[in-house]
Amino acid sequence: MSRSGRFAAWWPRSAEDLEEGHEPDPRFTFANERTFLAWSRTALALVVAGLGIVQLLPPFPGVPIGRHLLGVPLIVLGAVLAIVAYGEWVRNQRALRRGDPLPRSVVPWILAAAIAGMAIISAIVLLISALR
Amino acid sequence: MTDHVPTGPEPTGPGASETEDGDAGLALERTSLSWTRTAIAFAALGGVMLKDNVITGLLILAVVPLIWRLGRPPRSGSPPSGLPTVGATRIRVTTISIVGVALLSLVIAVLGPSVPGALHR
Repeated sequence: MSRSGRFAAWWPRSAEDLEEGHEPDPRFTFANERTFLAWSRTALALVVAGLGIVQLLPPFPGVPIGRHLLGVPLIVLGAVLAIVAYGEWVRNQRALRRGDPLPRSVVPWILAAAIAGMAIISAIVLLISALR
Repeated sequence: MTDHVPTGPEPTGPGASETEDGDAGLALERTSLSWTRTAIAFAALGGVMLKDNVITGLLILAVVPLIWRLGRPPRSGSPPSGLPTVGATRIRVTTISIVGVALLSLVIAVLGPSVPGALHR
């Protein structure tokens, strides 16, 4: 699939784009919506965590940009997660309406990779800070 | 999807109609509660932000009633109709709100004054 085609699959072109197919069981629609909301709350929690790290933690000795190194990516990840969760909702809703199998979710993979990356960065910052 | 989605045939037998998954009304209520939790999460973030930047905190708190209102179930007791269109709008509004809040937080994190060690006081 081309890059523009992939984007189109994630972003509805119009309201009619999401009215294709038949109305699914409302329980599935609601479950899809709750999943989106759960990811949205995760995104908000990441933003709060990032802001808390930058604003409230004491500076790391020897790493003047340490707090920003940890906090800013978390805030960015929160924004990315919210957008990706929306894309997932669109894809799932479209699949439900068409009666297709649900597409595989990429959000857990993104979150796991980002948390692993943040853990590595945190370890490095703490090590440098401890050695100073 | 990570949330519980009923699959396969409907449960049968005694008490099957009482299971929560067999009732779209309960699904609606769970979804409504989920919207309420999201509104509370916005309120918490707004409260935290008030400490750093009053205007930004108030802006985020202003989003709370909107999110709460979006999650209210329809007044009529009939099954919701036109869900995809309505759902798409409110889900888009929620996404835009979160991205906006994240951008505001980013600006404050990078440019705003910090209170280092506030957690130690």
